[in-house]
Amino acid sequence: MKHQIMFVAAAALAFAGTQSAAVSADREVHVAGFGAKSGVVRSFGVNTEAVMRAAAEKINNEGGIKLGDGTKGKVVVTFYDDRCKAEEGISVVRRIASGKAVVAIGPTCSNVAEPLFGVLQKRAGDASDTGLQFPIFTDTAIKGGLAKISEWAFRNVPNESQMYQSLFKWVKKENPGFKSVFGGVEEDFAHSRFTWYKVMETRAQEAGFKVLGRVKWLLNDTNFTTQVRQMKKAKADVIAISSHPFTLCGVLKEMKRQRVKYKQLIGLTSSSSLETLRGCSKQAKGIIIPTSFAPVTAAAKEAAAGAAKFNGSADLHSAAAWENMFILKGVIEKTGVMAKGDTVQADRRKIRDGLAALKSTGGLIGGIQRTKEGEAVKPYVYVHAQGKEWKILHDPRK
Amino acid sequence: MEFVDYLQAVTDGVMQGAYYALIGIGFTLIFGVMNKINLAYAAAAFGGAYASLGIAALIGSGDDFGLPPLLMFLASAVAAGLFAWIVYTICFRFTPDHYELATLMATVGAFFLIEEIAVHATDGEPMDFPEVLQGIIEDPMIEFSDAFAIRGDLLTIFLLALIAMAVLLLLLYRTKLGLATRAVAQQRTAAQLCGISVDRTNASTFIIAGVLGGLAGAMIGAAVGVLSPLLFVPLTVKGLIVTVIGGLGSIPGAIVAGLLVGGLENVFLALRGITERDMYVMLLLFLFLAFRPQGLFGKKVLRD
Repeated sequence: MKHQIMFVAAAALAFAGTQSAAVSADREVHVAGFGAKSGVVRSFGVNTEAVMRAAAEKINNEGGIKLGDGTKGKVVVTFYDDRCKAEEGISVVRRIASGKAVVAIGPTCSNVAEPLFGVLQKRAGDASDTGLQFPIFTDTAIKGGLAKISEWAFRNVPNESQMYQSLFKWVKKENPGFKSVFGGVEEDFAHSRFTWYKVMETRAQEAGFKVLGRVKWLLNDTNFTTQVRQMKKAKADVIAISSHPFTLCGVLKEMKRQRVKYKQLIGLTSSSSLETLRGCSKQAKGIIIPTSFAPVTAAAKEAAAGAAKFNGSADLHSAAAWENMFILKGVIEKTGVMAKGDTVQADRRKIRDGLAALKSTGGLIGGIQRTKEGEAVKPYVYVHAQGKEWKILHDPRK
Repeated sequence: MEFVDYLQAVTDGVMQGAYYALIGIGFTLIFGVMNKINLAYAAAAFGGAYASLGIAALIGSGDDFGLPPLLMFLASAVAAGLFAWIVYTICFRFTPDHYELATLMATVGAFFLIEEIAVHATDGEPMDFPEVLQGIIEDPMIEFSDAFAIRGDLLTIFLLALIAMAVLLLLLYRTKLGLATRAVAQQRTAAQLCGISVDRTNASTFIIAGVLGGLAGAMIGAAVGVLSPLLFVPLTVKGLIVTVIGGLGSIPGAIVAGLLVGGLENVFLALRGITERDMYVMLLLFLFLAFRPQGLFGKKVLRD
């Protein structure tokens, strides 16, 4: 009888243990993604989602994320379309925050990020501030200095100012005979405009170039003849174009038609994508662009392959989503996130505090430094268009 | 800027105005026959251009387009004609005739549907489109001096557009189909009493306008060298401006207004810069609406 009782007790314990294991196996860490998946910037959202899903698959295949009670949870990614519109971005994040997600990665567009960060609680823990208490870890929206808007906002985007400072200096050093720069600006897009006026123009002058002038066009222009004629007349050594792939391709094709002569072409960070190569790979040949992603390391190659598996591509912007996923994994494990139904808000706070405490993280092409304002200082390389690929031209760290 | 620079700007602009004119003709032709605006017109036109790229991609491989540019123009025209017929069937054929807002809103829906299909098919990425003389003339720039040159490819597009317009006018004024179209436009009930099928005439008008639009879509792709969903809205707006300035329902008006808007747009750009260019084009539109609402060649509109 005693043996029978012992057996039943052991069986009960074993059953309870099985139940407990089953529960832990069902624990899910919900990570939301959001970005543009419709409209002309759809490729940004498609690529970010592909990279997030690839990263989640890798994390889950390797056993998932270790939670605060020692059990393992799997990552579940849900992706939302904000259509690159501020009001929809805010609405999407409010919806995400009302659910089980403990953190969100996004958005694509700076015009969404800026007002969205404005609806978050400005200072974490400020009881008088009823702003949204939800951590956002941006991968794409690149306009400078946005994370300082809220202590719940963090970004892992490259510092363009630093990248172009280094690039113009390098071009000058390699080609001391180059004296002048002429600019082309997509005037009605926040990123391209900001980058020309606040970054490229000043950084070129600091590097010793004389800026001869600039021409402007709009995002959906179909006619660049007048602007390119001015560009041709300027006879500058270096032509720097701050515009996105559609107009970049239109301008490059017009430059070829008008036989514009230059010694070096420099492009906007966002143009170092497959979009440019699909639109005008021949005309873009030789254009130099600084980028924080290139498949140069084993991890970067794995991210690129993972994105391709989920029908996307890893580039300057989307690759950051891979880094974000693994940074979040580390933060969740370190801060003891529980991923239970009744700990969602506490988990969000733990993740926020964990992200704020980071001084440095790993990255796909090298270590990333984190600033007090929630921004990143990322390594970068210079790439140039060669055929249907972006190839490494120079690594400033070497 | 010197005089020759303005001359250059006007020349470039007038040549580009040819595809504004084609888009404007499409709007005005449909308005002339049905007294309704088809806001999905330019979207269907670009749908045709995208379809031609798709066909070329199926036939070709790698960098090779698979079709010579002129055949791509033809494919675009045929596909856009088909899309235009679909738009007619969905948005006009079965919507209540007396409720004009229904067709207008239906075409707005069709516009966004076509645009979003193009976005999803390409992820919104710009697509390389061959220049009209690609494979025929390597360097089509005709230089008269250092300061003045004409793009040979744009000149070819301009001439093709003029031929298309001439063919349309011949079709309207020298064929039975044209006679039926004009009869429906002038007096629908009388045309019906004469045995003309209004539905068939309307459908034919949509297809003809669609074919012209498809040509315009391919021309724009070839002129820029790239196709993008970014083109849908601005070219729709330009087409409507051209239609109003030319006079609603007037084909000669749309031709003249297209060339005029193209030329003036470039002059405004040269004089006032990119940020003010569109402002002056809009001002021109308001001036017409206020002082000559019938446009250049439209029927006189009496005020209430």
